Amino acid sequence: MNPRLQHHTNIAIRRNQVVGRRDFLRQMSAVGLAAGACNWTEVIRASADELRSRGMACVLLWMQGGPSQYETFSPKPNHSNGGETKAISTSVPGIQIAENLPYCAKVMDKMAIVRSMTSKEGNHQRATYLLHHGYLPMGSVKFPTLGSNVAHQIGDAANQLPSYVRIGNRLANSGGGGFLGVDYDPLILSSANRPPENTTPTTGRSRYERRLKLLSSLQNDFASGSGAQVVADGRKLVTSASEMILSPSMAAFDLEKEPAGLRTQYGEGEFASGCMMARRLVEHGVTFVEVVSRGWDTHQDVFSRTRDLTAQVDQPIATLITDLKQRGMLEKTLVVWMGEFGRSPRVNARSGRDHYPKAFNAMLAGGGVSGGQVVGSTNAGGSEVTDRPVSVNDLFRTIYHTLGIDADEENISSIGRPIKLVDGGKVVEELFS
Amino acid sequence: MKNRLTWLAVIMTVSFLGIAAHAAQPSVEATARRVDAAIAEELFDDETDLAPTTDDETFLRRVWLDLVGDLPSPEEQTAFVFDLSPKKRQRVVRRLLESPYYGQNWARYWRDVVFSRTLEDRAYLAANAMEADLSRQLNAGDGWDRIASGFITAKGDVKENGSTAIVMAQDGRTEETTAEISRIFLGIQIQCAQCHDHPYDRWKREQFHELAAFFPRVGVRPLRGMTQRSFEVFGSNRFGRKQRKNNDRRPQAEHFMPDLNDPTAKGTKIQPKFFLTSASLPWGSTDAERRSKLAGWLTSNEWFSIALVNRMWSELVGEGFYEPVDDLGPDREASAPKAVKLLANQFRKSDYDLKWLLKTICQTEAYQRESRPRHKSGKTPFTANVPQRLRSDPLMNAAFSALEIEEMPEKSPRRYRKNVRRQFAEIFGYDPSTPRDSVTASIPQMLALMNEPQINRAISASRSNVLGRLLEEIGDNDQLIVELYLRCLSRQPTEEELSLLLAYGEEVGDRREAFEDLLWSLINSAEFRYRK
Repeated sequence: MNPRLQHHTNIAIRRNQVVGRRDFLRQMSAVGLAAGACNWTEVIRASADELRSRGMACVLLWMQGGPSQYETFSPKPNHSNGGETKAISTSVPGIQIAENLPYCAKVMDKMAIVRSMTSKEGNHQRATYLLHHGYLPMGSVKFPTLGSNVAHQIGDAANQLPSYVRIGNRLANSGGGGFLGVDYDPLILSSANRPPENTTPTTGRSRYERRLKLLSSLQNDFASGSGAQVVADGRKLVTSASEMILSPSMAAFDLEKEPAGLRTQYGEGEFASGCMMARRLVEHGVTFVEVVSRGWDTHQDVFSRTRDLTAQVDQPIATLITDLKQRGMLEKTLVVWMGEFGRSPRVNARSGRDHYPKAFNAMLAGGGVSGGQVVGSTNAGGSEVTDRPVSVNDLFRTIYHTLGIDADEENISSIGRPIKLVDGGKVVEELFS
Repeated sequence: MKNRLTWLAVIMTVSFLGIAAHAAQPSVEATARRVDAAIAEELFDDETDLAPTTDDETFLRRVWLDLVGDLPSPEEQTAFVFDLSPKKRQRVVRRLLESPYYGQNWARYWRDVVFSRTLEDRAYLAANAMEADLSRQLNAGDGWDRIASGFITAKGDVKENGSTAIVMAQDGRTEETTAEISRIFLGIQIQCAQCHDHPYDRWKREQFHELAAFFPRVGVRPLRGMTQRSFEVFGSNRFGRKQRKNNDRRPQAEHFMPDLNDPTAKGTKIQPKFFLTSASLPWGSTDAERRSKLAGWLTSNEWFSIALVNRMWSELVGEGFYEPVDDLGPDREASAPKAVKLLANQFRKSDYDLKWLLKTICQTEAYQRESRPRHKSGKTPFTANVPQRLRSDPLMNAAFSALEIEEMPEKSPRRYRKNVRRQFAEIFGYDPSTPRDSVTASIPQMLALMNEPQINRAISASRSNVLGRLLEEIGDNDQLIVELYLRCLSRQPTEEELSLLLAYGEEVGDRREAFEDLLWSLINSAEFRYRK
C-alpha cells in the first residue's frame, strides 16, 4: 500500500458514515469489488471521477483580519472614501490597483480581480468560517473546509505527501476535515522555515528501522485476539508514517533546496517562505496549500499598516504567479487571494477602517482563469456593489469549477444528511472568457 | 500521575467507613443481573457464542481507563491479581469512583461532547471552567438531572461558571442552543426539523421552534475586565420596541419561526412548548421561568434517562442500545429495548446517580466479558466487550503514567489552547458522540507517538527518567521486560514475546538500547492506544 496521509487510514469500512463516492471506490478497490455492491452506472461515474483529477491544485492566500479593498486591489483615488492611497497603472492598460502592490501590478495580465464580492457576515469568527467552508457554522453539522473538500475530491491518494497543507500555524475557525474525518485535516506547518511537527526521527535511520521491525513483531498477541483489525490498521499507519518521513518527498519541506536567486525574488518574511513552499508542495503533488498572512484587521492606521502588510505579501504573490508560470504549472494551479471581508468606506477617527462585508474584493489567477480582467464594480465611493455582485457561494462554486469539481456533489454528514459542496450560487463565467 | 498511590490509600480508608448516601437506591447487583437477563432474553439463544468473562489483568486495565482515564501502576496490578477476595472487582470499581480522577475523567469526556460542536473557536474560553466545575459536581455525586438543569439554566461569566458551556459553545444563538440541549440531554436530533418536518421522525417544524421558544431571551455578550477578556451568558427580560434585524442575535422577547418563503419577513411568533409532553408556558414568561420550567420537564422525561444510560453503556460496553448515541427517540429501535428501559428506569430511581449507574454497568456480564472485534452489523450485540480507542486525555495520561512524565502545571490556566494537554487533543481528540468505528486514526497521531520530543526524551534512558532508573534497579532482563509490559500494557508478556525479546537483546548487544527499543515499541503498539 502506498503511504498516504489523507486517505486510506480507515481501512475498516465505515458502516455508519459513507463519506462520498471516492471513498466508496477506494474501499471497493481495497476489498476487491465485492460482488453486487456496485452497479455499472457507479463504475462509469467512478471513472469520470478519476478523469476529473488531472493534477489540478489550488493555493489559497489567506489574509486574516479582512484586508482593505481600498488599499489593495480596488483603490478609489478620486473619492474621499479612498483616503490617501493612490492608484498605479498595471501591465494591463485601463486596470489600476493600489500603489501598495507594485509587484502585483506587473503581473496583472495573469490576475483576475473580483471587485464585487458581497456577504453579510461582519464578525471575524463567522466570516472566517464562511469564507473557508462556504457555509455558516451550524452546531449539528461539521462541514469540511474548502481545502479538505478539494483534497477529498481530487487529492492524489497515491502521493506520499498529504493532499492539504496549511502554512502559518493554526487558524481559528478555518476548519478541517469535518465529517469527512481526520484523514482530510490539513497538515499544519507553523512555519515554512521548519519541517512539520514530529517528522524528524529521534534516532538514526538504521535504529529507527530496527525499532519498526521490533514493533511489528511484537503485536501478534493483540492481533490474534480482539485487536485483529486494529493492529492491522495500526501497522499500515506506522508503515505509511515511516515511509513518509523517511521518503525523499520530505525534501519538499526544505526551502534550503531552492536556489538563492529565487529566494531573493520571493522576498523576505514568513509569507514569502510560505508562498515558495506552496509552489514546492504543489510540485510534489500536494493538491491544496493554504498560506496565512495575519494582521489585516486595521481598525487603526489603515494606510500605514496596510502598507507594511502589503510589503510582506506583494512580492511573494507576484513571484509565486510568475514562478508557477515559468514552470508551466500555472494552468493547473489556481491561486486565490482573499480574506474574510473588506473594510469600511468611511475612514474612522483613528485613521482606520472597520469591518465591511457588503462590498469587498478577491483575486484569482491561474487554473484556467483568464488574467488581465476585473469582474464587477462598486459605486464611486465603494460602498455598494453596482455591477455583477459575487456572493461567497458564487466564489466557492467558481473555485470548485476551476478545479474540475462538481460543486453539487453531495457528501453524507454523520447523521445521514446529504450536504452539497456548495449550496446554491453560480459560477462566475466571465473569469474564464 | 504521581499522586496515584496516595489518593488510593486515602480512598481505601474512606470507603471502609461505608457511607451510604442513597439508602433507597435500587441494588447494583440485582439491577446488573436483571439487565443481563433482559439482554439474554431479548437477544441470545442456546446457540449464541458468548465471550467468557475477562481475566483480572484485562479487567483492571479496563476499569481504570474507563472510570478514571489512566493506567493502573504495576504495584496496583500485582496487588489486584493476588487479591483472593471474590468481591475485588466491585471493590476496585467503588474505589475508583471515589477518586478525584473519576470526576476529572468524565468531565473531560463531556467537555469534548460539548466543545466538539462549537460554532466558534473562542468558545474554548469556557472549557477550563466546565472541566473544573463538572469534575467537582461528578465527584460530589450530583445527580445527572441537577447537572443538566445547571447547563440549561446557566448564567454568568463563562470563565467562572462552567455550566454556561453549552450556551457559550453555541454563541447564545437560539436555534443552535436548542438543538444542542436536545441532542446532548435527550439524544434527540430535533434540529432536523428546523427548516422542514423531520424526514424520518415524527417531529414537525413547529415542534422544533416551540422548543426554541424557551431560549429567545438568552444571549452571550463580551465582558471586559481589567486584565482579561471573557463573555457572559445572560437572560434578558427587558426589550425595546425595535424589531430584531436579520442575523442580529441579541435576546428577543419571543421566538419567531422564520417564513421559509420570505427569509426577511418577521416570521410567526411561537409559544414555548415541550415537544415530548406538550407542556407549555404563556407568552411573556421570563427567561428564568422558561429555562427552569424546561429543565424540570426535560430532566423528568424518560428520554433523558434513556439517552444517558445508553451513552454510558456505549462507552463502557463498546456499543450502544441505540447508535449513534445522540440520535435516538421514539421512532428509533433499540437493539434490546427492555434492557435499556429497565436500566433507565432504575437509573431514575437512583436519583440519577451516575456513580450508581457506572457501578451497575461495570457489574454486568456484558461489561465484564472478554473483548472481541467490533461486530459487523447484523450480528448479535453484547456477546462481548469491544476494544475501545482511548480518548485523547486517557491516552495522554497513559503515556505520561507509563513513562512517569510529569505534567507541568499551566503557566496561564486561562489559555486553554496553549497547554500540552490541548496540543495532544489537537492531534488525538475526537467527538465522543460519533460512532467509534467512524473515528479514524491518522498519520499525525502515529508521528506524535513515534517522534514527539517529550515522549522520546522519556524513552531514551537517562539518570533522570524512569527507564534509566529501572535499568539500574532491575538487573534481570526477564524481570525488566515484565516490568515494562505491566507499565504499558498492564499485562505479562507472552512466552513468545519474552523469547523474542531476549533474542532481540542479544542481537542488539547493548542492553540499554534494546530496552529503549522495547519501550518505544510498547508505546507505539496498537494495544497501548486501546483498552481491551
